[in-house]
Amino acid sequence: MEKFDVIVVGGGLAGLAAAYTLAQEDLEVLVLERGDYSGAKNVTGGRLYLNPVRDLFPDLWKKAPLERFIAHEEVAMMAEKRSVTIRYSGEELRQEPYQSYSVLRAKFDRWLAKQAERKGAMLVAKSRVDEVIIENGQVVGVRAGGDELHADVVIACDGALSLVAEQAGLRQPGNPHDFAVGFKEIIELDPAVIEDRFGLEGNEGAARLYMGEVTRGKFGGGFLYTNKESLSLGIVVGIKDLMDGSPQVQAPQLLDDLKQRPEVASLIRGGQTVEYSAHVIPEGGLKALTKLYGNGILVAGDAAGFSMNIGVTVRGMEYALASGYYAAQAVLKAREAGQYTANQLSVYELLLKDSFVMKDFQNFKDAPTALDNPRFFTVYPEMVTTMMSELYAVDDGPKERIYPTIKKHLTIREMWDMLGDFRKVRKL
Amino acid sequence: MSEILGLKAKLGLDVFKHDSEPHIRIKAGMEKDPRLKKAVLVCPAGLYSLNDAGEVEFTIDGCLECGTCRLACGTEVLDWNYPTGGAGVQFRFG
Amino acid sequence: MNIVVALKQVPDLQQIRLRNRQPVLDDVPLTLGNIDKNALEAAVALKEAQGGNVIALSAGDENIEDTIKEALAAGADEAFLVADDQLQGAESSWIATVLAEAVKKIDQVDLLLFGEGSADNYSGQVGSRVAEILGWPQVAYAINIEVNGSTAAVTRSLEDCDEIVEVSLPAVITVLSDINEARIPSVTQILKAGKKPKEVLELDDLDVELPDGSPVETISNLAPDSQRKKVVVKTVDELLQALAAEGVIRR
Repeated sequence: MEKFDVIVVGGGLAGLAAAYTLAQEDLEVLVLERGDYSGAKNVTGGRLYLNPVRDLFPDLWKKAPLERFIAHEEVAMMAEKRSVTIRYSGEELRQEPYQSYSVLRAKFDRWLAKQAERKGAMLVAKSRVDEVIIENGQVVGVRAGGDELHADVVIACDGALSLVAEQAGLRQPGNPHDFAVGFKEIIELDPAVIEDRFGLEGNEGAARLYMGEVTRGKFGGGFLYTNKESLSLGIVVGIKDLMDGSPQVQAPQLLDDLKQRPEVASLIRGGQTVEYSAHVIPEGGLKALTKLYGNGILVAGDAAGFSMNIGVTVRGMEYALASGYYAAQAVLKAREAGQYTANQLSVYELLLKDSFVMKDFQNFKDAPTALDNPRFFTVYPEMVTTMMSELYAVDDGPKERIYPTIKKHLTIREMWDMLGDFRKVRKL
Repeated sequence: MSEILGLKAKLGLDVFKHDSEPHIRIKAGMEKDPRLKKAVLVCPAGLYSLNDAGEVEFTIDGCLECGTCRLACGTEVLDWNYPTGGAGVQFRFG
Repeated sequence: MNIVVALKQVPDLQQIRLRNRQPVLDDVPLTLGNIDKNALEAAVALKEAQGGNVIALSAGDENIEDTIKEALAAGADEAFLVADDQLQGAESSWIATVLAEAVKKIDQVDLLLFGEGSADNYSGQVGSRVAEILGWPQVAYAINIEVNGSTAAVTRSLEDCDEIVEVSLPAVITVLSDINEARIPSVTQILKAGKKPKEVLELDDLDVELPDGSPVETISNLAPDSQRKKVVVKTVDELLQALAAEGVIRR
């Protein structure tokens, strides 16, 4: 039987961040990854915000295989027959260090795995963890493919469903209300065409969110990110809303419909779809986080629920990297103390509370309720686009004056409802 | 426009490695369970369908291992695990 | 008994996609050929039954130092490598020359196993060429190997019959994938693989002179052209007619 200092289950961002940090301190770390390579089972929309995690891994970023830095932020409000798109281009987005990048996980995670291995972490791919070994209430290792592997601490970084944390009794299977499902196509296009269509200079990139009709009023939206030689085009939609019907729609249809919208079709024209992927996303916020530690075990990344939708941004990868890092720090402290009890490992939660991770989750704890409002996905896109349509219309008769046009749509009743909706959003 | 591919064609673009047995199964006797019917709507790969007898049918080929059916239907109607190591979908882009 | 198994590093064929009918090899993970793994399994099974030492032999670019771990995890005791970037994509006759020279540097080889052909090019020549250079007998299409002292009884799978031949050792045997099912190494075996002995040579360490330019040149490497005919049919009758017109069915 083999014994390690730490076993990390799952070689994604959280697991690799933990392994990288621990190996740097000369601990014996084993990472078990069920895919052919790190990233083989991972999906992102994808954008990585670097600022919050840049300093946690100072040597890492120079050679990282990032796609394009996002210099243009766009939101498209989609009604059934019309849309309004807002494009924000700020000087600060074009200045180094860049705030965020589009990424492709199969490339990025494979590279990160190599960096962790260079630091001395042992990575075994194509290996699924079948079981957590618990002795006298203490997690002491895992079983994988008939092998029994022991460690002082197991870090569960096995993704949004975390069967490891579930087996260790730190979470329940999960409530569909707290999760969304994302699915996307990678569409290959010539870089020059991408730059032309999105008005990009060199390695600039654009990120576009689509809200409204694209999810038929269900909680969620569409997204489009420019990569170096491809686009990531997809949909994120709340699982509970999909289940409830009204209107009833099969998930894959939403993406096909988005692709056929004239606003989108012109952007992807001539492109070749080369991959279709999907994954669930924890979106339950603070109240849906799992228990973060137990005797001999820590939970990080999506496994713990560290992913957040606050409407204009959906974030997860930097929380994964940071929680992996802090899990490693907690292990180092436990090692100093010479014990790996839940009590000792609870320092992980304290470290997170001191960091941007828990501060964000605290600040945006009302986001899931505030945004879970069908009016954002139906009434507002319809209202804004209809108003635009009438403002720009020149019919055969005399044109209506502008103020009454606006007022027609903003009745007292409507303004009162809006006030209510935005009062909730004010908490964000 | 990047053409609208049928779901089968779309899934055909992905790399799938063979597993010795299916990693997701409908539990015996649960084929008509209302909880299971949700899977028809939520599965991004469209692997669940309703037959004329009102039973949900499922095929594992093309499973993206996203986890949506486990959340939507629950573990009382589905036997759900990940494929064995090195099997199942392998994303080249992700 | 020293058994040498020659293994070729190849791109993971399942991961290759096509762009304009050309294979896209960027970022495709490297692995060992499947039939090569069967050859290794045969060697490990012989060793487990009769004792001995299994040496994984490979020649290729510098990535093989990493790729060969798969063989060490699956039961090879040590690795003997010629790792040189000049060997990237090298043609069969070169590789055969290099491998034969490498075998000469390994003490007391009794058996030299190959897969019948490599997973990528499948020229099926390297085993025979090495046998010729070494002056050893060769048996091809092996689906069973039994070693009895200084000879081996080898079952060959031919088109409509199996043939059993006896060959004196040392010999080259090339195997078919039917010979066995290669084992999947466990986590601990994979971890131990990194610690097994590895001898890594460069081309300069061998007594070989590779010719300038390759005698075989790949002119094109294209996937079969499969274009949609884009025939739209509205009724079953139309479908039957269309299929009959294509000669797929007879009316």
